[in-house]
Amino acid sequence: MSAVRIVTLFFAGSLLALCQSPPTRGVVNRYCLSCHNERVKTADISLESSPESSPDVWEKVVRKLSHRHMPPVGLPRPDEAGYQAAISSLTDSLNRAAAARPNAGRPGTFRRLNRVEYHNAIRDLLAVDYNVNALLPNDETSHGFDNVTVANLSPILLERYLSAAQKISRLAIGSPVRTPASDVILAPPDLTQEDHLEGLPFGTRGGLLSNYTFPVTGQYELQVRLARDRNEHIEGLDIPHRVEVTLDGARVGLFTVTPPKSGTDHNEADNHLNVKLSVTAGPHQIGVAFPRKTSALLETQRQPYQAHFNMDRHPRVQPAIYAVSVLGPYDAAGPGDSPSRRRIFSCPTDDEACAAKILTNLLRRAYRRPVTSTDLAMPLKFYRTGRAEGSFDNGIEMALRALLVNPQFLFRIEKDPVGVKPKTAYRVTDVELASRLSFFLWSTIPDDTLLDLAARGKLREPVTLEQQVRRMLADPRADALVNNFAAQWLYLRNLATTNPDPRLFPDFDDNLRQAMQRETELLFASVLHEDRNVLDLLRADYTFLNERLARHYGIPNVYGSRFRRISLADGHRGGLLGQASILTVTSYATRTSPVIRGKWILSNILGVPPAAPPPAVPQLKDAGATVGGKLLSMRERVAEHRRNPACASCHNLMDPVGFAFENYDAIGRWHSHDSSLPIDASGMLPDGSKFADASELRQALLRRPDLFVATLTEKLLIYGLGRGIEPFDAPAVRQIVRGAQMKDYRFSSLILEIVKSTPFAMRNSL
Amino acid sequence: MIISKKSLNRRTILRGVGAGLALPLLDAMVPALTAMAATPASPVRRLGFVYIPMGATISAWTPSETGRLTKLSPTLNSLTPYLDQLTVISNLELKNAYSPGNHATANCSFLSAAKAKLTEGNDYQLATTVDQIAAQKIGKDSPLPSMELAMDLLTNIGSCDNGYACVYQNNLSWASPNNPLPAEAHPRLVFERLFGDGGSAAERRAELRKNASILDWVSSDIARLQGQLGAGDRAKVSEYLESVREVERRIAKAEKQTADSAQPDRDRPMGVPAAYGDHARLMFDLQVLALQSDTTRVLSFQLAREASTRVYPEAGVTDPHHPLTHHANDPEKMARVAQINAYHVSLFAYFLGKLKATREGNGNLLDNSLFLCGSGMGNPDAHDHSSLPIVVAGGAAGQLKGGRHIRYAQPTPLANLHLTLLDRVGVHLDSFADSQGKVSELLTPAAL
Repeated sequence: MSAVRIVTLFFAGSLLALCQSPPTRGVVNRYCLSCHNERVKTADISLESSPESSPDVWEKVVRKLSHRHMPPVGLPRPDEAGYQAAISSLTDSLNRAAAARPNAGRPGTFRRLNRVEYHNAIRDLLAVDYNVNALLPNDETSHGFDNVTVANLSPILLERYLSAAQKISRLAIGSPVRTPASDVILAPPDLTQEDHLEGLPFGTRGGLLSNYTFPVTGQYELQVRLARDRNEHIEGLDIPHRVEVTLDGARVGLFTVTPPKSGTDHNEADNHLNVKLSVTAGPHQIGVAFPRKTSALLETQRQPYQAHFNMDRHPRVQPAIYAVSVLGPYDAAGPGDSPSRRRIFSCPTDDEACAAKILTNLLRRAYRRPVTSTDLAMPLKFYRTGRAEGSFDNGIEMALRALLVNPQFLFRIEKDPVGVKPKTAYRVTDVELASRLSFFLWSTIPDDTLLDLAARGKLREPVTLEQQVRRMLADPRADALVNNFAAQWLYLRNLATTNPDPRLFPDFDDNLRQAMQRETELLFASVLHEDRNVLDLLRADYTFLNERLARHYGIPNVYGSRFRRISLADGHRGGLLGQASILTVTSYATRTSPVIRGKWILSNILGVPPAAPPPAVPQLKDAGATVGGKLLSMRERVAEHRRNPACASCHNLMDPVGFAFENYDAIGRWHSHDSSLPIDASGMLPDGSKFADASELRQALLRRPDLFVATLTEKLLIYGLGRGIEPFDAPAVRQIVRGAQMKDYRFSSLILEIVKSTPFAMRNSL
Repeated sequence: MIISKKSLNRRTILRGVGAGLALPLLDAMVPALTAMAATPASPVRRLGFVYIPMGATISAWTPSETGRLTKLSPTLNSLTPYLDQLTVISNLELKNAYSPGNHATANCSFLSAAKAKLTEGNDYQLATTVDQIAAQKIGKDSPLPSMELAMDLLTNIGSCDNGYACVYQNNLSWASPNNPLPAEAHPRLVFERLFGDGGSAAERRAELRKNASILDWVSSDIARLQGQLGAGDRAKVSEYLESVREVERRIAKAEKQTADSAQPDRDRPMGVPAAYGDHARLMFDLQVLALQSDTTRVLSFQLAREASTRVYPEAGVTDPHHPLTHHANDPEKMARVAQINAYHVSLFAYFLGKLKATREGNGNLLDNSLFLCGSGMGNPDAHDHSSLPIVVAGGAAGQLKGGRHIRYAQPTPLANLHLTLLDRVGVHLDSFADSQGKVSELLTPAAL
């Protein structure tokens, strides 16, 4: 399209917009302008400009009108038809202006693979599942996701990458191990081990299960240690217990531990729990558990807690596993035939021609693009150096090690094409699109299919693109959308570090924590895999429970550690908003927080995050606080807090939403009273619609599905693009939501619309 | 230290490269001494803190002489070889440690002198500890600004002192009022943090060279990009190149270190010695290595957790420590507590011995360092925090006037000592926690 035509279109569109915008102008003049004019300029916003000249301001107007935040509740407001007409004509002109001059935004030129992506890339490149969390530092979060601020490469980070490359290349090749090593696998200290744990053999209780990659074939030793209390005494060891060690599900050791005689060292009791065995190189599953005793019934006068890990409050009844150490290899017998070697050694001979073939393969996947002979030169040189010092394998290892630190592997680099005009949207290349797709949907490098299509320039063809997206969503790697995207969007990641006050919530343990997380993951996964309407995330009448979580919810007849789909009858559960995971991460250690819960809804469901609080905010009064001898409810305590006008402007939006969840305590249990006061869960959404409880809030949210879908779209876009969402992205978001609406908001339709959208398919030049 | 093969549990040995298992040869394992840059602003290069849990039988701890000290008390007797670099300070107190959970607060107030917020939840609050304030100053040029070490491997959740979150009882060092620094008790992890994977000098050198050649490629590839990018992105590339150069500098430095010293194979600690004493000495060895290699200049080390019920058969005490400290003034029990105290002190003496035996410049490591060893509890039977057992050791670059016993007539804040130590490392504060002044007698020539 020529520049002249663009300009013509632009003006034409603009004129058209002005002609067609009377509904907007009328509504704005009547309801908005008295505050938002050039003279008064409330909140620094004047609406005397036209949408085309200042789209950023008018996109804000669209958002405020869409959410019915403005005009404020209590002032004269248009009727529903008036709102809709105004929004419709306003967005029409904004959309047209955007279509005439697309602004795709600009994800950073350099985006380092974050820790999750690095882990997955190593997994898919080398068939090695390496715990990189021990090697690389945490990624910082921005805009709610940890793949946004990833342009940095500090010296310490580079050192870590060097060290990681050394360790990973050795493990992948199965290089001779210089000295036997030891790895310690710890069980979470607050894991209750009285009952069966999922994945361990039936008929056992407690224990731990760990995937472990053995570097070479050889002799190894597994050492098991039991949990001790703070007196260094083995917990719960009153009578003899048996301990079973398994490798890939097969028993490799069976021991008996007996209580030490009074006064003797408890070290004696478990220092014989060692298994020496030969293991082949590659991934294996180590399991340790206790064969269940027939009479482990717990009898106490009170209802027993389910949590048993704390010596003072609810001690372990039976012994528990503290850790398993893997020592070795001794008498190493070579690299064996591990999955990683099968993946790497794609050529049978050990000459340079084969090395070149192997490295070309690796380079293509590591660089995520077709490679040239120039690309091969340096890796081959490293190969020759390594080969000269040792074997063929040694040469490949050296080249691999260098490759894993190369910036073209560590960074996703998107360069502006030669000759593109400044500040102009251009289509990313097919090769770049392949990476955008695979990191978005899989959090990892593209596979050969994607790279092949990209190399042939076919990936961008709409039919091919749709086929590929559908293929990718059906692939197990798409679980990254659950474990990486949803876990961040919904704050599930915080669950791991959430420790409710053990005095108030004595029944909270790691088992419950894991079950909570699992429920949310399974719900999201069901929407993904069954290609459901994304509104099911809010309204599902089913969920996934095991016995532990079902008892937490008071739902009967669910037995065992296995999760299964359960239909829900009462309105207490169903959808994300009734899930203990989310209710817990939005609570304090000691109490619920209507404020945090309200903020969570506004930010993650409705997409209108409140502003940050001012400094020096006074704390809420503690539970049990009284005024004039009268016990204050949570609602009254929050109301006290809201009396400060500086706080009120935001809290008036957040708190009334958060109150809906007061029936759920700080670990998500349903309760009808709080400190002997009956719970009032009524509240109001920012648009003024009132509700009596969480169930009615859910209904209110579902009446405006576009708001939730737009929020989910924005979150997916931030995550997929690795940048924050700007006002100029709003037209694209609207188009995505509209497109998905035609397909019943199916998960795949949302993803397909995103992938086709301007910000995803294009990029602005500098 | 020689740990005979016999004294170690199988699972705990430091596994050597060969069959020899000459253990652990640690002082030969460090890179050559880093040349000591003259830093006149920070006359004391290093500061360390060693925590003894649950106070002491103070009668056996306190020397009888006041002022000039020629003979140490029974508990401190093992420190005699370092008497000229040692000051005993009596009648210090920690007013802010009095609480409903005195074990938790004895530990956390030791380096903060602050009052811990009574909470079992995540809203814990203390204060930045003296070691971390020092680390901001003298630790900023070393690879690790500080190291936090402990002896207890297990994490306990929810089984700590009376209403206080476990962080108070577990963590001596706090980087900020709500950021406790977890201490590492596993020797191998400490070692790898210091020196990476290990291997012989030749192997290490080979690894470093490989990394250097990899970085050559990295920087040439990055530099090649520079030509293809716009101005905004070129700045980013320069930043990457600067990082690469910095790592290259470190590698070159490390390579020089390995080249300058003929070293035996570096053994990597594999497990945790079963015997407490072996474990503690190994942890002290690692601290000597950390200081010697100038990897860090600030240390804190908890010899055991407060309220620990460890038994010390090596010291001839088979009663669990905590119940024993509630001795109700039974002289026999008090004597046994003193035996444990003496044992802990002897481990500290072992550390001082290693430092003194490690040459640095014209002197030794101890000469340029300051170490505080003691407890945040006085009489454990009463759970009190007065008459704390405290010794200060080291040369403080010639400033510590050793061989003395400072005995305050009135209870004096421990924070005075912290303020003084900070002053010596170049952090000049007007006050620290509840301090009322400095321990001026510690460093100026004796006015006694």
